[in-house]
Amino acid sequence: MLRFEATQLILKHAGDRPIVANLGPTTDELWHAQHRDRNFYTYGNMGLCSSLALGMAVSTSEQVISLDGDGSLLMNLGTIATIGREQPKNLIVVVWDNEMWDQTGHQQSHTAMGTDLEQVAKSCGITHTATVIDLEELETVFRTALEGDGPWFIVAKTEQSEYMPVSPIEPEMTLYRFRNSFSS
Amino acid sequence: MNWAEIIVQALKDWDTSLIAYVPDISIDQVTRLIDADPFFHLVSATREEEAIGIAVGAYAVGRNAAVFMQSSGFGNTLNAVTSLCIPYRTPIPMFINMRGGPGEFNIAQVAMGRSTKPILDLLGLVHFTFDDDHRMGEILDGALKLCHAGRQPVALCLTRMLHGGKVA
Repeated sequence: MLRFEATQLILKHAGDRPIVANLGPTTDELWHAQHRDRNFYTYGNMGLCSSLALGMAVSTSEQVISLDGDGSLLMNLGTIATIGREQPKNLIVVVWDNEMWDQTGHQQSHTAMGTDLEQVAKSCGITHTATVIDLEELETVFRTALEGDGPWFIVAKTEQSEYMPVSPIEPEMTLYRFRNSFSS
Repeated sequence: MNWAEIIVQALKDWDTSLIAYVPDISIDQVTRLIDADPFFHLVSATREEEAIGIAVGAYAVGRNAAVFMQSSGFGNTLNAVTSLCIPYRTPIPMFINMRGGPGEFNIAQVAMGRSTKPILDLLGLVHFTFDDDHRMGEILDGALKLCHAGRQPVALCLTRMLHGGKVA
């Protein structure tokens, strides 16, 4: 599936729930799909997307969605263990898994060579998991995740696609705008 | 109050209830109090960089957060501090057990311990060092106020002279 179409599908069902996006194309595509106050765009800090979402989930009663990536998550697999330890019911991690480090020259990531992130999540005590390969499967699983308790860990296999223009946004404004949306 | 209780009180005074940490035998004297106090949610991270991410996530939804680590772990946080905390402007107090000072027994702790404060200086981040608890509450309160006013991390460096440290 194409990551942009999958991002549009997540947004279609996400309502006003906060979404944290992994750096690079995931952040850019979230902005192009629909810029909203509750999008937390990341620009660096590779590997911390789901750690940010975990910190949010244990600090708000709202459901929090992390749009992570295979390469980034491989940099910080420990956070899957921390999610398993904390068991936040309101956290949904979606991993866009294209099995490569796309931006650095399409090098194969470990998920192309046998690493199964869903199994990693399961072994860390996350019981609600899935691996999906098309939009239809993603929609079914994501809607189920929204309706019940988590934490959820969904690996979505995506294909290579053209880059969209870099989103015209600033980190400081991202935090300010996002944080203010929780202040009322 | 002893030094550990002073830290707990300062965190409460600044409504800082999400604490992310990587265990350390010296700061255990504080994190043990935090863990036992229902005011706090103590999250055990696998790595200090991850602790920073968790703390920033909490702050992003309106909850004040702090991190605890030792100076070797501060080395692990650098990309998170420089690419997350600084550009996003997040006031995260970093309590750091300083290794590599008087009484250090482990050569592997010396280089990072000795370079922690110079690195903080290079990054333009304010740090305060506590060798004893003299006026500690007052300084800590001011440090947390400064942290929030500047919306940048502030480091609170806790030395072996303060907490007794790990002796071998």
